[in-house]
Amino acid sequence: MTDSLPTTTGATNTGTTNTGTSNTATAAAARPAGTAPGTPGAAVVVDHVSHTYGRGDTAHHAIHDLNFEVMPKECVSIVGPSGAGKTTLLRTLAGLLQPSEGAVWVNGKKNTGVPDGMAMVFQDYSRSLLPWLSVEKNVAFPIAGSSLSKPERKALVDEALEAVGLKGFEKRYPWQLSGGMQQRVAIARALAYRPKLMLMDEPFASVDAQTREGLEDLVLSIRDRYDMTILFVTHDIDESVYLANRVLVLSRPPATLVEDIRVELAEPRDQITTREDPAFIHLRGHVARLIHSGGDSV
Amino acid sequence: MTVAPEKNTRSSAKAERTARPGRPGRGRGVLVALGYFFIPLTVLVVLWQIATTVAPSPFFPPPVDIAENLVKLLFGGDAVFTEVFYNDFLSTVGRMLAGYAIGAAWGVVVGTAMGLSQGSRETVTPIVEFLRSIPATATLPLFIILLGGGDDMRIIFIAYGVSWFVLINTASGVGSIHRTMLDLGKVFKISPARRLFSIVLPAASPKIFAGLRIASTAALLLAIVSEFILASNGIGFQLIQAQGRFQLLNMWSWMLALAILGLLINFLLDAVENRVLAWHKLSRQKI
Repeated sequence: MTDSLPTTTGATNTGTTNTGTSNTATAAAARPAGTAPGTPGAAVVVDHVSHTYGRGDTAHHAIHDLNFEVMPKECVSIVGPSGAGKTTLLRTLAGLLQPSEGAVWVNGKKNTGVPDGMAMVFQDYSRSLLPWLSVEKNVAFPIAGSSLSKPERKALVDEALEAVGLKGFEKRYPWQLSGGMQQRVAIARALAYRPKLMLMDEPFASVDAQTREGLEDLVLSIRDRYDMTILFVTHDIDESVYLANRVLVLSRPPATLVEDIRVELAEPRDQITTREDPAFIHLRGHVARLIHSGGDSV
Repeated sequence: MTVAPEKNTRSSAKAERTARPGRPGRGRGVLVALGYFFIPLTVLVVLWQIATTVAPSPFFPPPVDIAENLVKLLFGGDAVFTEVFYNDFLSTVGRMLAGYAIGAAWGVVVGTAMGLSQGSRETVTPIVEFLRSIPATATLPLFIILLGGGDDMRIIFIAYGVSWFVLINTASGVGSIHRTMLDLGKVFKISPARRLFSIVLPAASPKIFAGLRIASTAALLLAIVSEFILASNGIGFQLIQAQGRFQLLNMWSWMLALAILGLLINFLLDAVENRVLAWHKLSRQKI
């Protein structure tokens, strides 16, 4: 799986950089029209994506010629300095934003709108949960319009709430819960949707440190339990390494891919032992150095 | 507990307000609220009654006489209600409700369209600002020329005047929905109709309700004003008649009827709002 990925080869823990531009470009030239570039079967292919907001003097070049791909079941974190265009990239992946140049392919289909089978966990849980609906209705909200029968829907909701540890809170309202619990509801809502691809936009940025650890471990548990690809945007370096199989480091804007790092830490991961692991410490130091240099050394 | 000292009732009223709905002891909160409402009013009426007894004036009849006269105007005769009740009181209420319903519906529809699209908001806002700057009452002569002096004219006139309050509030409520909430609908591929009815309108409902509330006051005002000209029945018509015939007691009685009507409408809206927007009040208390 690793060797076939042009964007990851040679980037494992060694500090070598590889943006993968040349490899993807040759693949793009050879492929027939209408098919996805990159490795066949990739869950996500980001192909020469650039985005600029506005025009003229006030134009903001947020991301520049990003190229990477994510294979099914990978858990990839995207980390970069604040204002690095991480949210722009995620909105592009979600199909909420059409990039100025290039294209995003999800499960072999080019994004023209929101792709099928994708769920998202937003940073601002207080705005993403509907305050007039109870917890269970919030979780059922995305699947309420589907063709599933009522018992099927209820089973999905119950299972999702159980997976995030919120059994017994079905009838509560979001504003009766703590911030961490609210974000668990948002994660349960994404899980009940049974996505193939789950995008998480700095989901734990506004909860306290201990709650955050609990939520990180929750992500690890659902990563193993559900059959899905996870893309996780964060500005927290430790978190990016702790959660992921791969870390994509972005530069300061216009954001380019500084390095694509494979994370091979002992499983199951643990808040204490993993963080003591010399490999973890080495990786987090490496990512931190890349971010602090802001991509200047590249 | 019924004769609790002033300080305690005050704090328990506060506790009631923060309590979750359906908890026991809610009834006492209502009683306390009613007390706050009626005690100053009773004091005012008693003072007025004393003043008019000490120094009688034909312009300011005693409140007891006003109330008695109102009861006589509306109730009694062979049936429970008088002809005046059906002819004038109910006519005004009917026109008001019809105009209010049409105006509110129009306001919500146009306001939502304005709130959802920045383009339409930017195009329509100058027109809206210009038109609503004309006092609605000043447009009555135009409505009479265009539509005649019938009930339909009055209803459309009320609807026109009322719609601005609902429209402005709806547009602002819908326009200020956070992007995350709208993204949520798109990301989970919610159908446009469901997005409108299950995300946009509930999210904007606190502001829409604020508009409906101001609009209800305006509806009563416009109904009365519309009956001042070219009318043959209605509370406004009765007020002008009483003025022409120098029946001051009748004038006061009709004003009292309007006060009661206004309070009743407010009470009904309060009840609806408490049910529909319970989540909003409670979620704000948490913050």
